[in-house]
Amino acid sequence: MKTGEPGIVTTTLEKALEWGRSNSLWPLTFGLACCAIEMMAIQASKVDISRFGSEIFRNSPRQSDLMIVSGTVTKKMAPRVKRLYDEMPYPKYVIAMGVCVIQGGPYVQGYSVVLGVDRVVPVDVYVPGCPPTPEALTYGIITLQKKIRGEAVR
Amino acid sequence: MVEFQPGEERGKDGRRIIKVRKENLFETLKRLKSEGYIHLSLITGVDRKDYLEVVYHLHSLEKNEYISVKTVTYNGVVPSVTPLWKSADWEEREEYDLMGIKFEGHPNLKRLFLPENWVGHPLRKDYDLKNVQYINVDEDGEDYATFDQGDGW
Repeated sequence: MKTGEPGIVTTTLEKALEWGRSNSLWPLTFGLACCAIEMMAIQASKVDISRFGSEIFRNSPRQSDLMIVSGTVTKKMAPRVKRLYDEMPYPKYVIAMGVCVIQGGPYVQGYSVVLGVDRVVPVDVYVPGCPPTPEALTYGIITLQKKIRGEAVR
Repeated sequence: MVEFQPGEERGKDGRRIIKVRKENLFETLKRLKSEGYIHLSLITGVDRKDYLEVVYHLHSLEKNEYISVKTVTYNGVVPSVTPLWKSADWEEREEYDLMGIKFEGHPNLKRLFLPENWVGHPLRKDYDLKNVQYINVDEDGEDYATFDQGDGW
């Protein structure tokens, strides 16, 4: 029943911080290959990640919390990925999107592809697929939110 | 070893394929350019183990026709066509980078994609994939290749 009086919510500081962090995951504008097309779709109107608090793709790593590594990481790009990751402020999270990023994918026998971006930066959530659908990536972001709140099922 | 025979044949799509010795390559391409094949679409290289093959894909904008010119080299040296087409510059550098074909008369024959100290040419059949190489960036922003992972990894 609404009375107009302010209510009281009790929580711990950690819970409040986790809630705040998990619902304001701003990703970095960082597309490497064809998976980036699907990544762009998650912020468009059909699968809108603004609903889950990932409001906008930031253009600077210093303003973003989440790096979605979307696309094949070549050996030439790997030091740059590392550098972008280092420029992001804590707390920071990484989603490995697509099978190329997870273990090399169809380029696993090539000379130029990093066999898994987790050799370069630590990864929180892996989203398999070639490419993953925007829904799958949204599920990955929700899984990351659960992981931040300590609710994720391994 | 298959002996190379100069001549002309048709591809599966009806495209003319002209096979020339590399001594006559420049004159052939110059004649074709004067005949209207003014656009150099692509230069590709093929590793046939015994010899290397270089294929030039030309396009005639008037006739809307493609033509392929093939040549072979046993020592990995082919005359450059940069005097005819400026765009051949980077194409030939790519060939040199990945296939190790040297183009005689090229103004700036350096690697295009890989760092200068990369060992071997990756698209050659005898390239050893087990020898994994890594790329790092030095303080000036230049890439360099190493066999161990280094700081950036």
